[in-house]
Amino acid sequence: MVDASAGELIEDLFRRESAHLIAALVRLLGPANLTLAEDVVHDALLSAMQEWRFGAPANPKAWILHVAKNRAIDVIRRDRRMDALRPQLEDQGFANALEQGFSTEADAENQLAMMFAICDDALSSETHVTLILRWLSGLSSAEIARAFLVDVPTIDRRLHRGRARLKALGRLHDVGSRDEVRTRQPSVERALYLLFNEGYHGSDAESPLQPALCADALRLAELMLQASAVERSTVHALAALFCLDAARLPARLDEAGVIVPLAEQDRSHWDRSLLQRGLLHLSASAGGEHLTRFHLEAGIAFEHSQAASVSATNWARIVDYYDALSALSPGPVVALNRALALAEQRGPEMGRVALLALEHEPKLAEYSFYWAARADIERRSSDLALAARFYRRAMALAKSRAERLSYERRLRGLEDD
Amino acid sequence: MPQFMYLFRGGGYATPREISPSELQAHLAKWTAWSNGLLAAGRLAGAHPLTHPPTGKTVRGQEKTVTDGPYAESKDLVSGILIVEAGSLEEATELAKGCPILEFDGSVEVRPVGTSPGK
Repeated sequence: MVDASAGELIEDLFRRESAHLIAALVRLLGPANLTLAEDVVHDALLSAMQEWRFGAPANPKAWILHVAKNRAIDVIRRDRRMDALRPQLEDQGFANALEQGFSTEADAENQLAMMFAICDDALSSETHVTLILRWLSGLSSAEIARAFLVDVPTIDRRLHRGRARLKALGRLHDVGSRDEVRTRQPSVERALYLLFNEGYHGSDAESPLQPALCADALRLAELMLQASAVERSTVHALAALFCLDAARLPARLDEAGVIVPLAEQDRSHWDRSLLQRGLLHLSASAGGEHLTRFHLEAGIAFEHSQAASVSATNWARIVDYYDALSALSPGPVVALNRALALAEQRGPEMGRVALLALEHEPKLAEYSFYWAARADIERRSSDLALAARFYRRAMALAKSRAERLSYERRLRGLEDD
Repeated sequence: MPQFMYLFRGGGYATPREISPSELQAHLAKWTAWSNGLLAAGRLAGAHPLTHPPTGKTVRGQEKTVTDGPYAESKDLVSGILIVEAGSLEEATELAKGCPILEFDGSVEVRPVGTSPGK
């Protein structure tokens, strides 16, 4: 019967349970049986979708776990692919082993083991992010393809490589082993950093999935802190960066779905609780032996978070951070951001000189943010014709509608200047 | 008010594997919205989903032969029923057009429920 009183489901219940159950099953059945695990989970979610049509059960999560457990027992008993593993699982008792594997207590370790296994050196960083999105965020190939702005076959090829590599590994990593964790930690961090940026600057800025990617990157970074063998200060720095940047998301798109530049954001809309959480991570990040790019980027995000406005921002310190960042991991995008900070600290003329010096960087020539930055500088120096030209160039290169409209709005604004 | 039975077929059994957890949940939300809409409009007299994957028994003939499970093709399998109250078959059919199962390659059969004498 229809239960009109049935509450709304937690927004991403299916996605979360997919990650939870796939990690638990792969840990139990081994990476060679990843496809089997995916099938079990898919079936359980399909059952929920069919059977909850007229109202969800009182405890939706328990319902899914129960159905997944029964389905897994069925598969272990009958599927030929389980022949080799069956005797071993029989000794433990399927039901017991599954119940322990699905428990909340085991969840963090399961997902950590999965994440460290995924971030294998034989695979590219893009593949790491793809596999994380698929198995730890519960996205489909089509959803991942949309987020990355690539076609579905590309994503399927990455998934295929990932499955083959995990199968070759034979088992998931022991997240209690210092050696295994420390060797892979940088790859995991890099993957989460890419995941976050995909959410933050993604090609589909209006997609409701974008903030979810940022939230997942933060969730998985905080999950890393539960691995006792992990080097904590870097992870805290990464989590601080995610919190402090994600706190600005509520002010970053206006009602028309257009990106609002930092200078024009209503800072009262920044997420206070995320800022607070970021500060806790930031202070915990100070204890390490290494200063990483994540520490420096978190430092920059912190300066923004503390300022009441663009003009009240401590630009001198931000320029210092960018100088350190350029020394540590030089690159055109870091140089671009340094030039922007310099323009704020020492005036548009200094900014223009620094930006012009980057004109022949091949990566920046195709980078919309570079041309928007050039345009902003020219607007402030009142060369409106040149500003208009650069805004048009930025519009042509913009990755999303939200971004393009933002430049278009600034272009139109030139007429009023 | 006359009652009509909706027989839902397919819509999920036959769904390709490539559907994501979010998409499944979003589809479920449409079902909830649709059936709550019927309820709020005072149209809904009852509804039952059937379990997935489909299981069951069939009893047949004077011999009372029992066979396992429904044997239909997945798209022909009944996956749930619902009873609406509507002024006419046409109106009940219009209401059925809002059913989310149609987005998932499923169908809704609309059948007038017979009235028992004395009711």
